[in-house]
Amino acid sequence: MARSPTTSDVFNAIAEVRRREILDALIAGERAVGTIVADLSLSQPQVSKHLRVLSEVGLVKCRAQGRHRLYSLEPAPLRPLHDWLATYEQIWNDRLNRMDEYLRELQEKGEQQ
Amino acid sequence: MTPNRHRSAHIEFPNELDVVITREFDAPIALVFDVLTKPEHVSKWGATPPDQMKECSIDLRVGGNYHYSFVTEDGTECSFHGTYLEVEPPTRTVETWLFDGWPDAEAVETMELHETDGVTTLTMRLAFRDKAGRNHMTRFDGQQDSFDAMEDILTSLLGPTGTLPS
Repeated sequence: MARSPTTSDVFNAIAEVRRREILDALIAGERAVGTIVADLSLSQPQVSKHLRVLSEVGLVKCRAQGRHRLYSLEPAPLRPLHDWLATYEQIWNDRLNRMDEYLRELQEKGEQQ
Repeated sequence: MTPNRHRSAHIEFPNELDVVITREFDAPIALVFDVLTKPEHVSKWGATPPDQMKECSIDLRVGGNYHYSFVTEDGTECSFHGTYLEVEPPTRTVETWLFDGWPDAEAVETMELHETDGVTTLTMRLAFRDKAGRNHMTRFDGQQDSFDAMEDILTSLLGPTGTLPS
């Protein structure tokens, strides 16, 4: 699946540490913007900007409750990222496990000498 | 399956251009450095079966080139090459990184080693020149079969402070 290199991209959305912190805060449940602002010691405009990016890629959804806007986590868009990451991690683990085995063999040989 | 004495590789995406991989090994730093930079060693572990190592040359000095390639089960050859920019045994090398499968992607790879109490930590940072290059690593191929590990992903993607509701 080719993607356009815009901000409307899950990967770019979570590449920013503050946005990961916001997602983190939402794992425990729905939060009002004001609560996120207080929890993360960020300014309201900063949080709003990050929430807008997260909404654009579908990682959070928003509903109004009275005068408050409540945000919640929508993990589904992480799925392709997870699949990709799992593959990538598997490749690296296989490779580094092999290096680990090789290092052990070398050291065992060294001890025998 | 052999259990790992250390945690498996840890992969991070600290910003839009970098990929960072860390892994610990129960071996002294000098040996780990040799295993990573000497062709007689890399040719032994560099390809994961059924892939087979085809070429491995490493000229370990500033301005020296490296090239290695492996062949996958279906006969596809994957070739990587680059030039060393910094060589500081046994702690650090910096080299350009080019993969012939992604001709528009250029990266600088920094490999750092650190030893504590006989355990050597390898940190590899792949810094892509631009987002177009890094995007190769995030171009999903539509493989959407596993939804099981969503908790794992949330934990790993949201960082070390991530906690999931019980």
